[in-house]
Amino acid sequence: MEPLALTGNYRLVAAIFVGIAFGFLLIKSDLAWRSTCLNAIRLKDSRVLKTFLFSIAIGVTLFFFAEKSGLVHIHVRPSYFWASLIGGIICGTGISLCCRVPVTAIASLAAGRIYVIWVILGMLLAYPCVNFMSGFLSKTIYNWSEPIKTEASVGSFFNLTNAGLWVAGISLLLVLFLHFTLGGDSEEK
Amino acid sequence: MNIVTGKWSFYINGALIALLIVFCLYLFDDSLGMGDGMVVVSEYCNTAVKDKAINPPPALDWQTGFLCGIFIGALAASIISGKWKIRFMQDSEGDGIAATFVKTIVFGLAGGFLVMLGLQLAGDTFFGQWAAAIQMSSGAWIFLISTFGIATMTAILMERRKEGAKAGGDK
Repeated sequence: MEPLALTGNYRLVAAIFVGIAFGFLLIKSDLAWRSTCLNAIRLKDSRVLKTFLFSIAIGVTLFFFAEKSGLVHIHVRPSYFWASLIGGIICGTGISLCCRVPVTAIASLAAGRIYVIWVILGMLLAYPCVNFMSGFLSKTIYNWSEPIKTEASVGSFFNLTNAGLWVAGISLLLVLFLHFTLGGDSEEK
Repeated sequence: MNIVTGKWSFYINGALIALLIVFCLYLFDDSLGMGDGMVVVSEYCNTAVKDKAINPPPALDWQTGFLCGIFIGALAASIISGKWKIRFMQDSEGDGIAATFVKTIVFGLAGGFLVMLGLQLAGDTFFGQWAAAIQMSSGAWIFLISTFGIATMTAILMERRKEGAKAGGDK
């Protein structure tokens, strides 16, 4: 079996429909609201974290079997240790200020939160800045380490050397831990 | 609870998001970060500002189509759930109107800028990193763990500072 790999207008139409489903999910899962994101990073509300960890546990398992059957291929952009780490630190600082990432900002704006326009404006301003610094970044951060290689998957999912099994298991344990320790369900005002 | 108007449980959301990511990989056979779509929008805005004119919109590719779909889906879900509300400022959290207004702009601009700067450095959008984490990319895991760690630490410290300032003012 092979991936469908749609092309042309079919690809565009499918992307719009999948986007609609994802936008619907972002609202239903409360990922689009500032208060739920803020309470999640303040460790007061476990809903967002449980959604993320549960999706990882299910996704890793699904992906493993889909890849083994040839339905999907690995599509990961090249990553570098220092770029990922520094990028994560900068992005985390930004999230603590605005509580949004690009897709949740678009979903919030669609839900009438007009003030998110400032967040989107800030995001759009970052692109020229990165373009301006691209030469410097290529010589420094991207040059400090080799690209990180993606590990080849092992034969069986229930093999102790399979990192996916560990990730799925630890994610499920964390979901249980968060469920019984942190509160949940803060409402968007 | 009505499945259309009510809130969905985390395990339904989590399972559906995972399913959607794997289904996208099957449909498009491409990396899922919407970075290219955002680049197109950013370049269009840059050109419009430089030319001081509203140019014809860029051609719709699948990534910008996905972003449009998110807008439509979120709009529909928020109307159906009764959560669609016009808001010009974020929650006040005890601040006055002027302070909330300034915070909305400053935190929005600075936060948005830093989020996208970090994502650009790491090489993909947050959704792309999420999808890459499901594909067991070590780089995505380093990014996600450092993002969550720093966001949590900063948010808690900012809250403590605010509580401290309030307690100091109460004396």
